[in-house]
Amino acid sequence: MLLFLGMSVTAQNVHVHHDSIKNLEEVQVKNAAKKKIETEMKMAVSVDEFLSSSDNISFIKRGAYAWEPLLNNMSSERSTVTIDGMHVFGACTDKMDPITSYVESNNLSTIDIKSGQEGSLHGATVAGSIDLKRKSTPFGLAKKWNGVYQSGFEFNNKQFFNLGNVAYSGEKFVAEGSISYRKADDYYDGNNDEVKHSQYKKFNTSLGFAYKTTDLSSVRLDAIFDMAKDVGYPALPMDLSLSRALITSASYKQLFEEGLIKVVDTKIYFNAIEHYMDDTTRPENLVHMDMPGWSTTYGLVSKANAKKGSYSSEIQLNAYDNLSIAEMRMYPQDRSKRTMFAYSWPWVTTRYAGLSMNNSWDLSEKSQVNLGGSLGVNYNYSKYVEFNWIFHPGAPQGKTRFLPSLHAGYNLDIDHFNFSVGTGYGHRAPSVSEGYGYYIYNSFDRYDYIGNPNLKNEISYEGNASAGFKNERLSIQGKINYFYIENYIIGRILSMGSPMNYQSVGVKGYTSLDYATLLNMSMNASYDILPHLHWKGILTYARGMDDKGGNLPFIRPLSYQTSLHFMHKNFGIQTSVNGDFEQINYSPEYGEDLTSAYTIWNISADYSFKINKVKTVVQVGAENLLNEYYSTYADWGNIPRMGRNVFTSLKFNF
Amino acid sequence: MKSFKFLVIALLCVITSCTIDKTDYEAEIGSQVPEYYEFKEAVSFTSGLYKISIEALNGTFYKGYNELHLKITNTQTNQNVSASEVTFLPIMSNTDGSKTSCPHGYNLQYDMANKYFAGYSVFTNESATTNSWKLYVSFSADNQKYEVTKDISVEKQSNKNLNMTSFTGKDDEQYVIALVSPQKPTVSENKLVAGIYKYNKPANAGGIFPDPSQFSYSEVIGYTLKLDPRMPEPSMGNHSSPNNQDLTQQNDGLYHGVVNYTMTGNWTLNLIMMNQNGLIIKGTVVPTDFTPGVEGVKSELYIDTLF
Repeated sequence: MLLFLGMSVTAQNVHVHHDSIKNLEEVQVKNAAKKKIETEMKMAVSVDEFLSSSDNISFIKRGAYAWEPLLNNMSSERSTVTIDGMHVFGACTDKMDPITSYVESNNLSTIDIKSGQEGSLHGATVAGSIDLKRKSTPFGLAKKWNGVYQSGFEFNNKQFFNLGNVAYSGEKFVAEGSISYRKADDYYDGNNDEVKHSQYKKFNTSLGFAYKTTDLSSVRLDAIFDMAKDVGYPALPMDLSLSRALITSASYKQLFEEGLIKVVDTKIYFNAIEHYMDDTTRPENLVHMDMPGWSTTYGLVSKANAKKGSYSSEIQLNAYDNLSIAEMRMYPQDRSKRTMFAYSWPWVTTRYAGLSMNNSWDLSEKSQVNLGGSLGVNYNYSKYVEFNWIFHPGAPQGKTRFLPSLHAGYNLDIDHFNFSVGTGYGHRAPSVSEGYGYYIYNSFDRYDYIGNPNLKNEISYEGNASAGFKNERLSIQGKINYFYIENYIIGRILSMGSPMNYQSVGVKGYTSLDYATLLNMSMNASYDILPHLHWKGILTYARGMDDKGGNLPFIRPLSYQTSLHFMHKNFGIQTSVNGDFEQINYSPEYGEDLTSAYTIWNISADYSFKINKVKTVVQVGAENLLNEYYSTYADWGNIPRMGRNVFTSLKFNF
Repeated sequence: MKSFKFLVIALLCVITSCTIDKTDYEAEIGSQVPEYYEFKEAVSFTSGLYKISIEALNGTFYKGYNELHLKITNTQTNQNVSASEVTFLPIMSNTDGSKTSCPHGYNLQYDMANKYFAGYSVFTNESATTNSWKLYVSFSADNQKYEVTKDISVEKQSNKNLNMTSFTGKDDEQYVIALVSPQKPTVSENKLVAGIYKYNKPANAGGIFPDPSQFSYSEVIGYTLKLDPRMPEPSMGNHSSPNNQDLTQQNDGLYHGVVNYTMTGNWTLNLIMMNQNGLIIKGTVVPTDFTPGVEGVKSELYIDTLF
């Protein structure tokens, strides 16, 4: 079990945060103290690998790159994924560029995951929110210059990576930058067969500048530039030739020493994403096809924290404007003939503005009540609405939706025990693809998908509870949540229309089920067997059903992770076993088949030492040590996962 | 700070200069499809005091359906003349001596509002070295009958969305189906308009040339055109579209229906023509199977389009 980390920057942390707001230095030192992006197994992880160590995240994998994170077993349109609160939308209709693919582990400090309506702070959601927190160096560190360089090699897919960070921290001025490059060849599965079209190259760089305007205020400019080239998707009939993202923001932060409001942080942002898919690398394809996509977003996010006595509150204003464009162009076999063209996203604008609030009261030392909600307005506009009219004649070109949300929770600590219960209610608007998509080919069930502009809001009712026990050596926690989702949006086979993409078998239209239900359960435990020997374990279970009692797709079967970690002086060794049980509750209707159980064994060792004051860590390990041949329930086209992978990495802290 | 600004500007330049340009959708369709909405004089001739001017879209006669406006003016007064009994007859002469006509409106009706005589002609062939077209127009003005003839040139219709087809039906009659609109389809629901015409076989031997009874065509009444649009490209695997509507006759005598084009490119309108009693005159059902790699099977009655 590659586990834990700073994944739960939950309400509690926010309180610590409030209490400590006196001046900028202190707040930011707190920020810096958050856990780093690395797992215990592996210190040089990708963002995807890091996320997968959380117990409520699973992934749809279409290859070795850009996995789509599923929060609470729900697809990515049901969660809000943000970078420091900024909304960024992928430009690929096939969801091959989740936002997590446009950042790199060395420009993030932590990832903040909130389940269900607690995540509505960043906008309307059903499943919750994933906020990728950027690195932010505090002002006036004792050590003015800091640097990290990390390099490594993974033998299975010959992945070679170099990650570098440098930061300057002055009294008034902070500058930081990061740069990284990863290059990987095709990987090999457990039968030592090459998985073709699984290579990738990724370059990422970021810059940040902060200037302290007064003792209590600062301005900050940030930019991330990410470029991926020659990325293969073995589960798909085409690959990515180039994707680029520019993510920029400017923010102003003001702290207040007196009064109810403690801090106001306002940010304007702009991001532009290009994603060019084509199949020039697949000569076996019958049709040559290009699928470029563009997504441009402007936005504003402003957040205020208030505190008085036992009451504290966060208020956030979110506003953005996104334009999503995706084209497809097919080339006839006789190239002298006319190409065939259509928009798969016919210039769809999404505008959202919403105000969110989280409040909490400490009823006593031991108990706490949380109450929050949001109200948003979502507007969609399809410029070339005639594309949508083919399947939905007369659908309105623009549509306004109101998206309310409410949530409440109660926390109780008694001695070593902790209990919580919560409930939530919230709406979400259909995504661009669900509302306005046009012949979007899904290679999982091999259907072309058609959006429906008339879809109703998806409405979620949720309940959650947790119970935990913790003493000096043992910690154990059980969590459960249940979602009842009205108007659950999913693709259903359409009797009309015929496929456009030559690999597909039919046309599905996004429709609303009357309802669907989802249950997620997890059990975490850790135990310190000896002072230097620790054990951890996780067990998760989920069940999703539609209104007819049928199974929903992409629901993780019973799965487990368990790990042992031994440390002695500068030496550490860890081993973990993880796996899924057989996926009994699969959904043939949505293209799933029975996925067998699998078990993976990983091991790694690291050693820390100093070379001339430079703290150095060297690590060697192996994932899937037994070279098991397997694929998981969420691997598209049952593409096998990576076989035995020996990895090495080296890290210098300057 | 300065260097940062430069970097941001540089990055903005990088990002705004997309490596692949977005498609200009309007230009995309426009590039393939000439579109004419202006009537211009295609031919004119004089007879006595009168000047006859025939206007067609873009001032050109094209193979296929042509809406025609005929104006008669008095050359002395430059006034429009409300002549009567205006007739119009196009005849094609072949080098082998045969003479044929094409679907046309013989008796032209006066349009009071627009001050012209409205007619149409569905030229079935382009002018070539082996065949030439001649117009025979007659009218009465000031109690006198005038007859004039004029050679004309019929050009190739480069807009495939105005294609036509002529065939012999199972009832042994000769038919012509010509697309009238849309000139410029889009990826959308398109109102599809077509004319169906039939050659009226003469009952008697011909009189003095040009005897209109030998060259008579009429609009077909009360038929139905069943429509099944498909993309014929092998790579499109017999792709079709939903929500199409069969063509039925409306008050203007033309047949109206709906065709949905799901993407640009080559399309085939597969047709089945049925008479008033639902009997199939021409056309076959096309397979609905998705057959990637195989050129789509066409009905025996079809018209190709492209946009």
